[in-house]
Amino acid sequence: MSKIPANDVLKAELNAEAKEPLLPIEKKLIVGSLTLGIVLLVVLGLVNHFVPVS
Amino acid sequence: MSEATLVAHGKSEPLTEDWLAVVIGGLIFIAALAGLWGNDLLGWVVTTSVWTDPTAALAPFAKTYAALGGWGALGATIVAFAVVLSLGAVTLGISIGRFLPAFLVTIIIAYAAWYLGSNAHLAAVTLAEQTKFGTDWSLKLTNEGGYIVALLAGLIIANFFPRFADWLSAAIRPELYVKIAIVLIGGFLAVTAAAKLGFASSLLLRGVAAIVEAYLIYWAVVYYVARQWFGFKREWAAPLASGISICGVAAAIATGGAIRARPQVAVLVSSLVVVFAVVEVLILPFLAQTYLWNEPLVAAAWVGLAVKTDGAAVAAGGITESLLLAKNAANGINYQPGWIVGTTATIKVFIDIFIGVWAFLLAWIWTNFINLAPGAERAKSSEIWQRFPKFILGFIATFVVGLILALTPATAAKLPSIIAEANTFRVLFFILTFFSIGVLSDFRRLWQDGFGKLVAVYAVSLFGFVIWVGLFISWLFFAGIKPPLVS
Repeated sequence: MSKIPANDVLKAELNAEAKEPLLPIEKKLIVGSLTLGIVLLVVLGLVNHFVPVS
Repeated sequence: MSEATLVAHGKSEPLTEDWLAVVIGGLIFIAALAGLWGNDLLGWVVTTSVWTDPTAALAPFAKTYAALGGWGALGATIVAFAVVLSLGAVTLGISIGRFLPAFLVTIIIAYAAWYLGSNAHLAAVTLAEQTKFGTDWSLKLTNEGGYIVALLAGLIIANFFPRFADWLSAAIRPELYVKIAIVLIGGFLAVTAAAKLGFASSLLLRGVAAIVEAYLIYWAVVYYVARQWFGFKREWAAPLASGISICGVAAAIATGGAIRARPQVAVLVSSLVVVFAVVEVLILPFLAQTYLWNEPLVAAAWVGLAVKTDGAAVAAGGITESLLLAKNAANGINYQPGWIVGTTATIKVFIDIFIGVWAFLLAWIWTNFINLAPGAERAKSSEIWQRFPKFILGFIATFVVGLILALTPATAAKLPSIIAEANTFRVLFFILTFFSIGVLSDFRRLWQDGFGKLVAVYAVSLFGFVIWVGLFISWLFFAGIKPPLVS
């Protein structure tokens, strides 16, 4: 199995200034996930409140 | 651990390692079940009691094997583990010449740590126990404090004897060991769940909340922080978000594969995940002991949500159980063991189930909206199965079989002792997991030049968001729910 090539390349990439702007699909993914997640947590929270542990 | 080994562990092995865990865990479970028909095939396995007399600590699990003696049982256990895992190593393409010597040293050091952790000065909890053992002081860790000793032994080797750590690397496979342990936990949870069926089903419902939190909330926030605050490109941000939010190594590698990132990106993220997970294992259980000792299931869910990698999360659950059981016992409250670590393991299993689904979703988004290129390969639904952690099938199988047997009058009475025997193997695989996690954790990686930004985004996301939201959600769903008491 070959070693990871050129850690220096990876380090240079990580510290590069150039940014990739957020694409519309990325914004939809972030907002959509958060919205769905919060809604589902509220639903589960209500179930938790109204369905007591046996 | 060398990065070459990380690549070896991450690239093509995860599926094979998963199936190996199913096979080994399944065989142990089936061998234990032979006891239902009067055949005790595993009673030779070694157990360690809390001790002050070092010669009296070890014994075989079953009285029928008493002639072996403690050291005979230990020898038989080491040989059995070495044979089975060496055969397993061959199926993973690892040379026996590399694996066997490293594994023998690994299991000897790991078990020595467990043995040391069972000394009464570390393990005795109540005043009555201390009187019984004639000790005037104790760290009160219960004998599960041996997990902490094993972890510390690994950490010392990783950070002060790196060449020795590298020599051990062929046998340092915490994910394999913890997956085998999780397969065995299924049977253990079935027996405890059968006794409290309504209680267990309520816990499962609350486990669903963990999935929602990890995939839909954590991932989105960490991805945004990585992209916008720290300026990471998509190729880095997606595996980072999965590694920090979902399940460390497996999720980072699955995500990297899904978005067609370069393999070394996911491997580098994974190596940081392991180090941070160990930091959490060393901190969170002790915080739980101080602030959550009277809410043990909040603590259990919290570590399951906050600690990434299966091995470290279940390890944290084991230490948390040890510490919380001890503190509550010192206050006269004796909870049944297994519920805390079982809750943590169940939360982690629930989160793991959807890795394949999430990887497919990301693959679909990336191949259809981001990495658009003529003739480029589109995401396939087969990726859901390909990325599904197969060891969970073993967990489900032992749970279902265990539950059926526990609810069947003809077998219900005999089952707890049989599962206790299988559980001894689970403990042994936990010990190997704890030690291996320690050996993998080279903290110098955090200070490598040029990787500061990666460390920073991890630290900010984990300690600034994931841990606290995890605590809040765990409190919402588990506050006031206590494990059953020892009857």
